[in-house]
Amino acid sequence: MRVSGPCFLLFTVVMLCLASAARAQSAATVPGRIEVAVGLGVVGGAALGSDDANLRTATGSDFRLFGAESRFGAAPTLEARAGLALTRRYAMEVRFALSHPELLTSISADVEGAPDSELTERIDQYVVDAALLVRLDRIRIGPVVPFASAGAGYLRQLHEGLTLVEEGTAYHVGGGVKHRFVSRGRGFLKAVGLRGDVRVYLFAGGIAVRNRPRPHAAAAGSVFVAF
Amino acid sequence: MMASLRRRWIRTGFVLLSLCAVQSAHAYSHFTTSEGTRLRWDAPRVRWFATERGVPGVSATEFQAALARAFATWEAVPTATVAFEFVGFTSAEPFEDDGVSVFGFQNHPEMERVIGATTFVFDTITGELVESDVFFNSAFTWSTTGDLERFDLQSVAVHEIGHFVGLGHSALGETELRPEGGRRVLGAAAVMFPISLGRGSTKDRELQPDDIAGISDLYPDGEFRANTGAVRGRVRRGNRAVPGAHVAAFNIRTGTLTGGFAVGEGGEFQIAGLSPGAYVIRVEPLDDADVESFFSSAGVDIDFQVTFHPRLVVAPAGGAGQSFDVAVRPK
Repeated sequence: MRVSGPCFLLFTVVMLCLASAARAQSAATVPGRIEVAVGLGVVGGAALGSDDANLRTATGSDFRLFGAESRFGAAPTLEARAGLALTRRYAMEVRFALSHPELLTSISADVEGAPDSELTERIDQYVVDAALLVRLDRIRIGPVVPFASAGAGYLRQLHEGLTLVEEGTAYHVGGGVKHRFVSRGRGFLKAVGLRGDVRVYLFAGGIAVRNRPRPHAAAAGSVFVAF
Repeated sequence: MMASLRRRWIRTGFVLLSLCAVQSAHAYSHFTTSEGTRLRWDAPRVRWFATERGVPGVSATEFQAALARAFATWEAVPTATVAFEFVGFTSAEPFEDDGVSVFGFQNHPEMERVIGATTFVFDTITGELVESDVFFNSAFTWSTTGDLERFDLQSVAVHEIGHFVGLGHSALGETELRPEGGRRVLGAAAVMFPISLGRGSTKDRELQPDDIAGISDLYPDGEFRANTGAVRGRVRRGNRAVPGAHVAAFNIRTGTLTGGFAVGEGGEFQIAGLSPGAYVIRVEPLDDADVESFFSSAGVDIDFQVTFHPRLVVAPAGGAGQSFDVAVRPK
């Protein structure tokens, strides 16, 4: 895994901001409560960048054989989460997400006139991350409680044929809302509800062009139960 | 025991791959015996001599020093294990069957487009090189300082030493025809491209990824095969093979190009020594240099369109990806 300096700094700043904001929030969740959720979502596409296929000339400048621009397409995700309330405001959660985005490379301007084309490969993508959630009770709307989150985790991408694994780091910030339909103080099952998440990811490492990090937007909806 | 020895000439073009002798053709190209065994040195340090004769602009001492730098360029490839030793100056000439490998200038005005050439003596059974001589054509003007009106000796020496160790020509380059005849190189992605970048250029002093993959595949260090991968497939036109098609693999992560050729009855190719990752596969006819620069046998098909394989192809670490077919169409 690669952790670049700017990414780590961004992550730290976001976490401090969330912690600061949370001090003013009112309490609502019982510490020690466990919550699990499963849901579906979508991870947005992202440009990986362009990098021409160049030949070297007598003067050392580049002679372009063809242009290549790569990107990930958007893809649905299957997500599962498990969280633990640390205090009435804070919770930690671990999330697993599986998706199958397409890696697309657009070929253009071939020097010998080959038609422009788009080459594809299907990727198996797994993200396992840990996040800190902060309940934002002050701005709740009735039973709908917003929250903010930030975290980091492990990115694992398998090429087609499962012959090659590429690994990286996934940082994210985001937020969402929770709406409890059932909530009770006694019994094994303490709550049932719906949850919506939006996140911005920064993937570093993994499949990349020149190892450039790239942002992805993501959204998901899930059903949760609390014990 | 040497079953038999045979001398082979490699000018800027000559016998390289045999379309009939189907070894798994690797990236770039390697010289082979008629049975497909790759030619290579088995000695831990390959010994070489320099003639004690200079030419205008390059003294014998400068000649030896430029060669030493060119040898050092190949020795410096971290993923290969080839090593060389300069033995001394000699009065012997290149191309004498004397058991020693000699580098020297010779005047061959009749070879009006050949600036250098390499010959081998090798075991026809094992492929072991036992002697290799290189000449630089003093019918041309030479320099070791990047003189714009002369050929750079070190650049040409890096190319010829590539042959000296067993590499053939790479087809990673684009050329255009000169009105006066011959070809001008627009660009190349390999020192082993058969046509020089021209007078004054020193760019071929530096190896490119295709050259590095070629030498590493021929003289791999301990980790090379485990850390690199290969792509393999066939080039097909309808239901028949396309012999001699040039296949280039472009790494989308690093932007590097590595080449190979479709050979054999099925048009098979294999490009080894690749950094693991996803590759664009581009197939083109061998029309940027004389076909004889690459293949000895007739039958190379250049009547098809440049084609990109519609899928990205993966080179896994330590092995080869699944074989695939690239379908090309006639021009």
